[in-house]
Amino acid sequence: MINQKKHFWPPSDPAVVRTELINNTKKGGSTLRTIVVSLVLLSLLIMVGIIGKVIIDGNDQTQWGYVAAILAFILSATGGAPMVAIAPLIAKASWARPISRIAHIIGSVSIVNIIIMIPILRMLPPLIVDGTRRRSIWFEAPNYSPHFWDTLGLIMLAITGMALLYSSSIPDFAVMRDSSDGIRKKIGKILSRGFIGTTVQWSKLRMRIGILSTLYFFVLVFVHFIISVDLSMSMVPGWKDAIYPMYHTMSGIQGGVASVIILSWIVRKYGKNQNYITINQFWALGRIMFATSLMWIYFFYSAFIVFWYGRSESDAAWLDLLIRGPMMYVFIIAMLCSFIIPWWWLIWNRVRNSFNGPFIGAIIVLIGLLLDRIRLYVPSWSVNPKLIHDKWLTEIPKILYPDIWDVMIFIGSISLVFLIIIGLSRILPLIGVWEIHQLNLLSKPGKFMKAHGIRVAKPD
Amino acid sequence: MQQRKSVTQEYTNSVLLNGTLETPKWWPYLVSILSFFVLVGIGLFFVQIYYGLGVTGLSRPVYWGLYITTFVFWVGISHAGIMISAILRLTQAEWRRPVTRAAEILTIFSLLTALVFPLIHAGRTWRIIYWLLPFDFARGIWPNIRSPLFMDPIAIGTYLTGSTLFLFVALIPDLAVLRDRTTGLRKGFYTILAMGWRGNPRQWKMQVVGGILLSALMLPIFVSVHSIVSWDFAVTIGVEGWHSTIFAPYFVIGAVHSGVSAVVTMMALMRWGWGWNDFIRPEHFDALARLLTVVATAWLGFTFLELLFSLYGLDAPEIALREMQIFQYPWNMLFLLFLLTGFIIPVPMWLFKRVRTNIALMFWSSIMVNIGMWLERFLIIVPGLSRKTPFVFTWESYTPSWFEWYILFWSFCWVTLLMLLFSKVFPLVPLFEQKESEVFSDSVKIGRANVPTIFREEEE
Repeated sequence: MINQKKHFWPPSDPAVVRTELINNTKKGGSTLRTIVVSLVLLSLLIMVGIIGKVIIDGNDQTQWGYVAAILAFILSATGGAPMVAIAPLIAKASWARPISRIAHIIGSVSIVNIIIMIPILRMLPPLIVDGTRRRSIWFEAPNYSPHFWDTLGLIMLAITGMALLYSSSIPDFAVMRDSSDGIRKKIGKILSRGFIGTTVQWSKLRMRIGILSTLYFFVLVFVHFIISVDLSMSMVPGWKDAIYPMYHTMSGIQGGVASVIILSWIVRKYGKNQNYITINQFWALGRIMFATSLMWIYFFYSAFIVFWYGRSESDAAWLDLLIRGPMMYVFIIAMLCSFIIPWWWLIWNRVRNSFNGPFIGAIIVLIGLLLDRIRLYVPSWSVNPKLIHDKWLTEIPKILYPDIWDVMIFIGSISLVFLIIIGLSRILPLIGVWEIHQLNLLSKPGKFMKAHGIRVAKPD
Repeated sequence: MQQRKSVTQEYTNSVLLNGTLETPKWWPYLVSILSFFVLVGIGLFFVQIYYGLGVTGLSRPVYWGLYITTFVFWVGISHAGIMISAILRLTQAEWRRPVTRAAEILTIFSLLTALVFPLIHAGRTWRIIYWLLPFDFARGIWPNIRSPLFMDPIAIGTYLTGSTLFLFVALIPDLAVLRDRTTGLRKGFYTILAMGWRGNPRQWKMQVVGGILLSALMLPIFVSVHSIVSWDFAVTIGVEGWHSTIFAPYFVIGAVHSGVSAVVTMMALMRWGWGWNDFIRPEHFDALARLLTVVATAWLGFTFLELLFSLYGLDAPEIALREMQIFQYPWNMLFLLFLLTGFIIPVPMWLFKRVRTNIALMFWSSIMVNIGMWLERFLIIVPGLSRKTPFVFTWESYTPSWFEWYILFWSFCWVTLLMLLFSKVFPLVPLFEQKESEVFSDSVKIGRANVPTIFREEEE
């Protein structure tokens, strides 16, 4: 082992890896039970919040901005997570193997988005308002195209995310089938679908994971594109911003990386997985989060300078609505948390090369992401619906504070996300057994003259 | 990676210095022909100064034509160096090694060429000084330092300085090799440039740290250069099709697309010209084609967004511009050619490994991409201006004169000539990178396969 202080490496014996990781799915005591019960109760708040909001706020579209912001936040914080596993897969990098299951599990909770989308469908205005077609990316499409395609997009994302998780778990289901008993053995037998690890099965599995990963990426970009335009940009007259969908996607990937860091930190610390999730993962994730923070500011600034320098009426209205108007303080904090603090924090190699540094950075990024989504969605929904056909926004809405129902929906959504993750961790090991086997095959820690390092194999 | 052949350091020195210490038969002929074309071009430039811009096709309302298109094109090509060298160095991509030097040189020479075009375009070249420096204190006329037109030369100048430094730092170990293998004046020249390099551990450490620091410092400059060029257009609200927030990343990704393609062209020519088959191998073209596939797909996404959001506002003039660009002759032919050569033909070709590893096909497909990318810039700049008619009362279209076409041809001859002259003084493939790769590379048997490995040093 290298650098005993900080560096660990998974056990080289496959039997030990199998036993340790499969046993993790069985662990849990009264603390876990208490957490699960609390999460179940808190998850119910999502339904209470939605029902309460429907009853109290009725048909007032301007009151639903926070719900849209919560949807965008959950989509961004979870949807981008599988990219942490997908990008290294394409680049044939082995470092992500111990955390790729975590990334896939976070990506498969998209069902929460669909639940929040249900009340939004009711409030989202159709394309033809007061007999006139409003500006949208749907041009001459049928009246309820945004409703249909946005929902379909979220469903597609959920299905692809789950398919990706399932495909990448098949070898582990086979391990469960062969080395567990009781219900786990039964689940393993059904879900492994006769996987015994022949060359053909491995080759097909790799191909399937590759295809699903590519598909997931395209669906993710598509969903960010339609959700960002339909649920915010097209609600504001005169807001025309071609980079916005890409900004939304990029900040979503930043949020996804942050979520993976947080969950990896928890799994490592409280799941006693110090030998599996090592400093290599945190160092690489820290670098990715640093890079995505820079991309965040670049995409933001690309829009900002054009509006700021253009100074047309619609440009000025954009600045008033989203930057210097009612959301000015939210914007400043979002900017601090999404870019300035992560930038100055993660720029230091010592911070990136630690367990707590990227973890703290990830929490700050997620706070920034939430505030950024509030900054974008709340004012967009607060715009007076009667102004929708104007050439540009002439009346900036006042700041809207969240009500109790918004808070309940937020707490319920987050709780549901954690509940699903804990539920999945009872069936599947949070660290892929086969991924660790492959990691051990493809990379080995070692020394070269006086330097410590890893010898990495990259098969074609 | 599988085609790697183990070679000795002596062999590396003798083969990779065959263009520097010896002279290939074709070299003097090609240099003479290119010098002739370059001199003719310089002569034509003076003719243009004498007769004025009337010799070009520029006229109301199209004041920016082929010269500015070519300026943007060469700035785009310059993105090859940092993309390949800095990003791949930071991500420790092993296949970068034979590619980096060529990419860095291409950056410097294309930037030098790009800088010439605004001078040619200005007509009275010396007047550029008035745009950059305060020239009339008495009347209080100052350059607008906030203008992207002012920031352009600063950004390009910084990029040029940084790139030259970056190239120089990476050249030092090879300069020492040349110092030890030459005599007389040449030895003196290399001795000065090698700055006492002996290859001791401290010098290597400083060289590696310097390279990494410069890579990290160059990245923001690399992004800023083409972004600022794009803002020359995007902050203008008076020209249809220009005022778009997506321009900065769209220009950058397009630049990477054309720059990396230019590197492929150059790699093929280097392999054919100097016979470096053991160093520039099909696997390198394979890796570059994979990178290009990802970049081209992202670029297509940005192109789609740019077009979509130009229609999103439902502004009649903007729609008319797009109609003209896409459906009216001759723009429609150019648009079709742009799409075919920029994406539709090359990218599906690159999906096949047989094409990716076929050097002739890669050569022609990379040339195709650059035809497409030049057309892209032309289609961004000229159609928008040719519709800028309300205040000029002129409805003439723009047809470049033979003068302008020759200057475009001249730029290619000029860059090629500079590259050939460079190759006579410095090695085009970094020797030390090859040797380092040889030391760090190994192979490991996994199952029945012999898989190549690479040693990666860990962060302390």
